[in-house]
Amino acid sequence: MIHLTNVSKIYQNGARALIDVNLRIGKGDFVFLVGPSGAGKSTLIKLFYRDEIPTRGQVIINGKNLVRMKEREVPYLRRNIGVIFQDFKLMSNKTVSENVAFALEVIGVSSKEVKIRTRTTLELVGLKNKENAYPHELSGGEQQRVCVARAIINNPALLIADEPTGNLDPETAWGIMELLYNINKRGTTVVMATHAKAIVNKMQRRVIAIENGRVARDEEKGGYGYDA
Amino acid sequence: MTLNSTRYILRETFNSMKRNPWLSMASVLTVMVSLVILGFSVFFLANASNMAKSFESQVEIATFVQNGTNISERDKLQAKIQDMPGVESVTLVTKEQALTDLGKTMGGSESDILADLGGTNPLLDKFTVKAMNPQEVIALADAVKALPEVDKVRYGSGFVDKLLKFTQWLRWIGLGVVAAFGFAAIVLISINVKMNVFSRRREIQIMKLVGASNSFVRWPFLLEGMALGLVGGAIAAVIVGMGYNWITITVQSSLTFLPVVQNATLFHQVTVGLLLAGMAMGTMGSGFSLQKFLKA
Repeated sequence: MIHLTNVSKIYQNGARALIDVNLRIGKGDFVFLVGPSGAGKSTLIKLFYRDEIPTRGQVIINGKNLVRMKEREVPYLRRNIGVIFQDFKLMSNKTVSENVAFALEVIGVSSKEVKIRTRTTLELVGLKNKENAYPHELSGGEQQRVCVARAIINNPALLIADEPTGNLDPETAWGIMELLYNINKRGTTVVMATHAKAIVNKMQRRVIAIENGRVARDEEKGGYGYDA
Repeated sequence: MTLNSTRYILRETFNSMKRNPWLSMASVLTVMVSLVILGFSVFFLANASNMAKSFESQVEIATFVQNGTNISERDKLQAKIQDMPGVESVTLVTKEQALTDLGKTMGGSESDILADLGGTNPLLDKFTVKAMNPQEVIALADAVKALPEVDKVRYGSGFVDKLLKFTQWLRWIGLGVVAAFGFAAIVLISINVKMNVFSRRREIQIMKLVGASNSFVRWPFLLEGMALGLVGGAIAAVIVGMGYNWITITVQSSLTFLPVVQNATLFHQVTVGLLLAGMAMGTMGSGFSLQKFLKA
């Protein structure tokens, strides 16, 4: 599913975000990305949906080489990847249901089907009665769930989550984790960057730790491993 | 582009205008004001060049025939001048007519004048020659003067020089005004569109991250730009059309000596032109401004 070889990312300002990263994540895996803030987790994640292109090395997602990929092919890659953004990235002038529906609109689903699937997905994340609200009228946790709904609505092969529980109370956080767990059980690969120690320790999944731009640890059924 | 996407894009275009009423109104107003000014400046140009033309058309060469030329020679001379290149018309004013006209201006009868002049008519037969191109009056006058039967020519040489300079300036100013306001309109509208797109760059970025293709993002913006430009252009066309109509009527009733252009073809061209210009500027402005944000 995800295959990185000798990937380095140096930003324009000279910051070395990733250094010689080799990584292989199989189809249907559930992977936690842990590590201190600024270690390179977000950069790594951005490589997966081609928001960033590595300075060196190859990124292969679902058999597609992202470094060689043409600009016009990028939308098709992204339609198969759901992303739960750290900052939600909701369109402020669109309602909750329009934000969620957008992921279906771009692939040309009929408006009737869009309506049905949007409602089902919003129900799934517990936002059934907020569908006509605008993002600024929601709490941080609710906005996060809108973002989750948009990421999962078209059953992507890969789901990427950048701190999806960061703004949530423990109970809602576990609700989201259950959602991700179920989605993973249906065969979707899930990669989740997180600082939530309790969640990582309890889930007993593969843990990849990134420190100073390098893979510091990669364990099957690992724990969080940091005191925080 | 599938039918579902097309439906979405149309709905999105409409929603976007509905949800940003102030921004939409600002765009319409910008387009409208720019095009109203541009429209009036086009009419200004039309009138300036029309005025120049009408001033110039009043320039004529008074050609006096040698004393003692008989009628058949005079008719031959008329034909000869008529055949010269660049001559539009030749009209004869006989010395008898000239005397009558003179008498009228002096307030007496023809016979009184004739008596005052000692019984002989001292005036000469005259041809009023008009040039096809007023700019060539001087050359034509020289050519006519060279004919043996011609006594002298008069065309107000100093005056014509100045007049031609003046009319040339009038045309340049008219053109300059149109060019300046045309440029101002383009700048104003493109700034407005840029602001519009810039204020939504985050939205564009998100759309792309969620998998929207460039054309999917672009179309609602293009259609919105087109619609707003069209509305602005339409209002401008109405204002310019009605405004010019009013000006024409007012000027014709109070400043009757001023020639005002009343040309239905020009009128249609300007109003339709404003409509199309609004639409084109709105659409192209959106397209160009978007390009920058779509690349990222």
